[in-house]
Amino acid sequence: MTPAAAVTVHRWNRASIVTMTALGLLVLVLAFGPAIFGATLTDRMTTLFAYVILAAMWNALAGYAGLVSVGQQAFFGLGAYAAVKLSHGGVEVYLALVLAPLIVGVLSLPLSSFALRLRGGEFAIGMWVFAELMHLLVNLDGLVQGETGTSLIALSSFGPDARRAFNYWVALAVMLALVAAVFFLLRSRTGAAIQAIRDSEEAAASIGVRVMATKRLIFVLAATGCAAAGAITLSTLTTFQPKTYFSVQWTAYMIFMTLVGGLGTFEGPIVGAVIFFIVETVFGAQGVWYLIGLGAAALLFSLFLPRGIWGVLTDRFGIALLPVGYRLRFADATKRTES
Amino acid sequence: MSDLRSRRTFVRGAGAVAGGALLAGGLPSLRLRADAAETIKVGFISPRSGPLAGFGEGDPYVLELVRKTLGKGLTVGGKTYAVEILDRDTQSDPARASTLAKDLINGSGIDVMLTTSTPETVNPVSDACEAAGVPCVGTIVPWEAWYFGRGAKPGQPSPYKWTYCFSFGVKQFFDQFVPEWHGIETNKKVAVLYPNDADGNAIRAHLIPDLQKAGYTVIDPGGYEDGTSDFSAQIARFKAEKCEIFNTFPLPPDFATFWRQATQQGYTKMVKIAQIAKTGLFPSGVESLGSLGDRLLSGFYWHKEFPYKSTLTGVTPHELADGYEHATGKQWQQQLGASMSLFDVGFAALKSSADPKKKADVAKALSTLKTQSMVGKVDFTSGPVPNVSPTILVSTQWIKAKPGSKFAYDNVIVNNVTDPKVPVNAKIVPYNS
Repeated sequence: MTPAAAVTVHRWNRASIVTMTALGLLVLVLAFGPAIFGATLTDRMTTLFAYVILAAMWNALAGYAGLVSVGQQAFFGLGAYAAVKLSHGGVEVYLALVLAPLIVGVLSLPLSSFALRLRGGEFAIGMWVFAELMHLLVNLDGLVQGETGTSLIALSSFGPDARRAFNYWVALAVMLALVAAVFFLLRSRTGAAIQAIRDSEEAAASIGVRVMATKRLIFVLAATGCAAAGAITLSTLTTFQPKTYFSVQWTAYMIFMTLVGGLGTFEGPIVGAVIFFIVETVFGAQGVWYLIGLGAAALLFSLFLPRGIWGVLTDRFGIALLPVGYRLRFADATKRTES
Repeated sequence: MSDLRSRRTFVRGAGAVAGGALLAGGLPSLRLRADAAETIKVGFISPRSGPLAGFGEGDPYVLELVRKTLGKGLTVGGKTYAVEILDRDTQSDPARASTLAKDLINGSGIDVMLTTSTPETVNPVSDACEAAGVPCVGTIVPWEAWYFGRGAKPGQPSPYKWTYCFSFGVKQFFDQFVPEWHGIETNKKVAVLYPNDADGNAIRAHLIPDLQKAGYTVIDPGGYEDGTSDFSAQIARFKAEKCEIFNTFPLPPDFATFWRQATQQGYTKMVKIAQIAKTGLFPSGVESLGSLGDRLLSGFYWHKEFPYKSTLTGVTPHELADGYEHATGKQWQQQLGASMSLFDVGFAALKSSADPKKKADVAKALSTLKTQSMVGKVDFTSGPVPNVSPTILVSTQWIKAKPGSKFAYDNVIVNNVTDPKVPVNAKIVPYNS
């Protein structure tokens, strides 16, 4: 064994410093997106940002807190619905889009008391039931008129270009805020608790981790994030039809992105979102075969590459681009371990 | 060492990913600038696969006829333009409808958008066009669901500058019911099964009082949610009240569920008039009900006995219906005429515009458009609300086809109250007799 003095603990390494700098530059470039990209790309990028949020949120739930939910479309739908409702009530439309997810986040707090009592499969199905219930309740609103839905008509007060740019900036800002929230959460003391819960809930509890409070934090964050993605999607689609927003397909997409990218890694879901986005753009027109392909890919990944693309890359090359974990560096610099 | 290698791998990987994304998003926009000069580009969005596929079944045939007519180009104000029609399938998904619309607008640079069949298609496409400032014409969506379902308020000025819709609405349904039902002797008790959606609620608010005024007793068990799978409670109520007239405005799969359960539970055998709306539209759907489909009454927005030619292609209704049966081996269906009428109206607007390449000119032409089409007159200057022109509905009945016919059912017109020019070719028959 190497003597203790020869081991140093690192959060940052060269790769992660370079990556963070590159990411900073990328964000700077993205901020000027509407000026650089054409109309189509600006619009599509807005959708990509929503996908990144969805993937990151589902990963936070399932990958870190061990909460596998198939009902996240509940918050996606509620986010869009809250935005429609606020805007209809006279709130400035872009303010409504930002406020809506916060309101949904607050509402998810009491729900978490019930939902988090459920374990494993019960939680998954319980969330789905909750999503269906929310769908039916939203249908009862006279403003929505059942499945007919309504449109976020207040957006029409902006010209096509201004509106496209605002949608993009709101999506970019919200995505950065949420991804940063996950990042700092994982780096914090709570992050260590979260990862302990992921590995074994009982063991974590036995060493004094406050399991319930930690899970609740993730649950509310994920609810807020999914609601934000719903509001962003509404801003690009304009049309609110409950069946579309409360569809379980959104959760299926989240699962696909997370599984393919790498469950339980920070970077994985982002990679997964980009892959899903490209696959959808290229193969979306194939209809049923596209969906069969998505399902098959998710299946193959969970069978043969359970750690996803990012997981494989980390295992093979020991990459840690973002300084989320701690790494031990031994004096001879050949052995390393990660926590 | 390892750090260096991983960084390189990452950069290369990131480059490939970013490049892919740029290619995927950027290619369509490169393609469009190449040949923009003298070509009019028309987007056409309809559902051709998924649950709404019945609507889009005939679209390839209609597109073929339209493309043949426009092969020589379109002459507007003495100038001839080439015409390119870009047709897209929504897969019955509203989110996809919206994405396709935006891709056609931003990526392909279309000059006008045409879209048809159900609020799930027409509403998101219209919203995308309204947002981008592209003229758009939609059809086959109850106009109330199109106008009010997108956020417009009764009594306020129209919030739509770019989008127009010609279609039947709730009013056209109830205009035909009362005169039609007089044809059969009943106990005047009407069982109504209306869902909780815009159409269901509109019909509940407007039709029920009208029916009561006309002397009917209406039994309404209340709105059900689209997609309900158990109708036992409603069926028991209808049976207890002995309702001899049945009326519904469901999504097509819900009707199939209801009608089978109603038969199993013994309600349908007391029904004399089974008046369905929004469903029973296509031969394939009625055939799937087996013998239960016989003598159902449905409202048709187009029929091969309509007296109107296509103004764009010159095709007559019989030529269209027979040509389709000949080309595909399938029975004619009403969406053929409706999709054709959409091209009639869209191209009438292009022809009457000052400059078909200027979107504002085309939208202006639409706002004052009065034209004939395969479904009859379309007039955007005198609708019940702005941007809308109601079209007609006729009452028809599905009747078992005569022996020797290739198809299971025939569809005959039993009432023409909304347009006397359409010939009535049969007398209404009770559902049970």
